[in-house]
Amino acid sequence: MADVAGEAGRALASLTLGEPLPEATGPWREIEVCSPDAVALLVDWLNELIYLAESEQWMPLEFDVIEATHTYLLARLRGRALGTSPSLVKAATHHEARLEEMDGTLEAHLVLDV
Amino acid sequence: MRVPARIYADSALWDQISQDQSIEQLVNVATLPGVTGYVYAMPDVHQGYGFPVGGVAATRVRDGVISPGGVGYDINCGVRLLATELTVEDAGGRLETAVHQLSRSIPSGPGRNPRFSLDPAELDRVLTEGCRYLVERELATPDDLAVTEATGCLAAADSDAVSAKAKTRGHDQLGTIGSGNHFVEVQQVDQVFDDAAAEAYGLTDGRLTVLIHTGSRGLGHQVCTDHVRLMDQVMERYGIHLPDRQLASAPLDSPEGARYFGAMCAAANFAWANRQVITHYVREVFAQVFGEAHRPRLVYDVAHNIAKLEVYDGEELCVHRKGATRAFGPASPETPDRYRAHGQPVFIPGSMGTASYVLAGADTSGKRSFGSCCHGAGRAMSRGAAKRRVTGAQVRRELESRGIVVRCASKSGLAEEAPLAYKDVDRVVDVVHRAGLARKVARLTPLGVIKG
Repeated sequence: MADVAGEAGRALASLTLGEPLPEATGPWREIEVCSPDAVALLVDWLNELIYLAESEQWMPLEFDVIEATHTYLLARLRGRALGTSPSLVKAATHHEARLEEMDGTLEAHLVLDV
Repeated sequence: MRVPARIYADSALWDQISQDQSIEQLVNVATLPGVTGYVYAMPDVHQGYGFPVGGVAATRVRDGVISPGGVGYDINCGVRLLATELTVEDAGGRLETAVHQLSRSIPSGPGRNPRFSLDPAELDRVLTEGCRYLVERELATPDDLAVTEATGCLAAADSDAVSAKAKTRGHDQLGTIGSGNHFVEVQQVDQVFDDAAAEAYGLTDGRLTVLIHTGSRGLGHQVCTDHVRLMDQVMERYGIHLPDRQLASAPLDSPEGARYFGAMCAAANFAWANRQVITHYVREVFAQVFGEAHRPRLVYDVAHNIAKLEVYDGEELCVHRKGATRAFGPASPETPDRYRAHGQPVFIPGSMGTASYVLAGADTSGKRSFGSCCHGAGRAMSRGAAKRRVTGAQVRRELESRGIVVRCASKSGLAEEAPLAYKDVDRVVDVVHRAGLARKVARLTPLGVIKG
C-alpha cells in the first residue's frame, strides 16, 4: 500500500507537470489520511495532494510513506513551489476506482476529474 | 431499478449515446432510495462520474436521498447571456479589440483572480447572500437579480457547512472562468425562431450578445469531494447500498444530507456571484471599447448542475439536474415577471465555434422531465480522444479561417474542446423542441471566444 500511494502521488505530479519532473526542494511536511477502506484511502490521499497543489501552488514530488494500512496513511512529502496554480486535475473520484492484486503486485485504477 | 428510465434522443444521437456508459449509469441512478417518476437522460447525455452528465433524477424529500454525484463537482455550473444593441457593423474593427480586452480582464485557466480576493467575512457573505451581496459592492444591479435564477441566492445556504479547504480554494477565484469547457463568447443573433419571445428577451437579429459559461471553481469541487467522502462513510449506517460509490448519498432529512444541501446551496451562490463578477468585467470592457451606452444587459442566468427542492403533483421533491437545465414555462412563479408570457430563458451553448441556442422553457416540461432540458451539445468523445484526433493549432486555424477571434492560454485545451469532440447541437436542440421540453427562440453564432 505504501508503494501504491507513492506511485499514485508521482503519477499525479507527472500528469500535472509533465516529464521529466523537477527536483523537490525545501523541508518535508507530514500528511495523514484515514478512510474506511483501501480504495477510499487512495482517493482521499490524491484529493489531499490536489488540494495542496491548488491552494498552496505547491506540487508534492517526493513521498516517504511512514505508515500504511488499508485504512490509514502517514507520509512525509517534499515538493516544489510553482508560483502558479497547476490545477489541471481538480479531483480524484470514486468512479470505477479499484485496487487489484495481480501476480503479487497491487494495481490501482483511479479516474481523475480534469 | 426503483423507477423506469426515459431517454430523449433521435436515432443518430442514440447511436452516439449507446456507445458510452451513460445508459448503464442512468440505470444505476434509478436505484437511489426515494427516486420517483422516471429518471431522464437528455439528448446531450454522456457518461459522467457515477451519474451521467445530462441526467435528471427526482427524490422524495420525505423519504429520499440527496447525492452530491447527482449535482457534480462543478456545483451550479451554468450559463448567463448578456445582450447589447450593437451590431457587427457598429462594432467594426473594435470587435477584436473588445475580445482581446475581455481576455485581459477576465482571468481564465486554472488559478486565481489577482484583482479580487475576499477575506473570510466577505466570502461568508458571498456564500450566504450570493449576488445580493454584490449589489452592495456595486458589482451587480437590482435588475440583474431579477433575471437570475433564484435571484442569485438560495436561502438554504449554510456557509458553516463549507469546509475551510473549500473556502481556501475559492477565496480568490471569484470573477474567473476556470478551465475545461468554460468560456466567455461574443456572439451575434443570427436567426430568430420565435419573434415574440425574442423581443421579450431583448434579442434582435444581428445584435451582439455575450455568453458566459462557468461555475463554482475549486470551491464547488471541494464541497463535492468533502461530501462524497462523508456520505461514502455513512451510507451503510442508513442501509443504503448502491452500485457505484460515486453515487454516495444520504437521506435528505439526515444530518449529512442537510449539511450537503446547505453547502451545495452556498457553492451555488458562489457560482452565481462568479458569473456576476465576470459580467461586471464584461460591462467595463464594453463601456471602454464601445462607449458607456453599450454596457450589456443581463438577459438571464440559469444553472445546469444543481439540486433544487420543487413541488410536483403536491409532493416536494429534490430534483437533481446534472448537466441539465431548468426549463420552467410561463405558469411557474419562478419565471421572471418580464418573461411570464413566454417561459424562462434557457441557454444551450454549442461546442466551441458552433452555434448556441436560446430556448424558452415550456410548461409541458414539468410532466415530461421534472421541468428540465439539455445543457449543451454533450461530449461525443473524451478529452484524450479529441487530442489524439486534432491539435490545438488546427482548431485555432479552423476557427480563425471563419473569422472567429480566439484567445486561449492552452493549445491542448483548444484541442480538447474541438467541435468534433461534441454531438451536433442543432440535433440536440431539435429533439428538446420536438419533445416539448423547451422551444427554440433564437440561434447565436460566435465571433470571439475566450476559452478557459
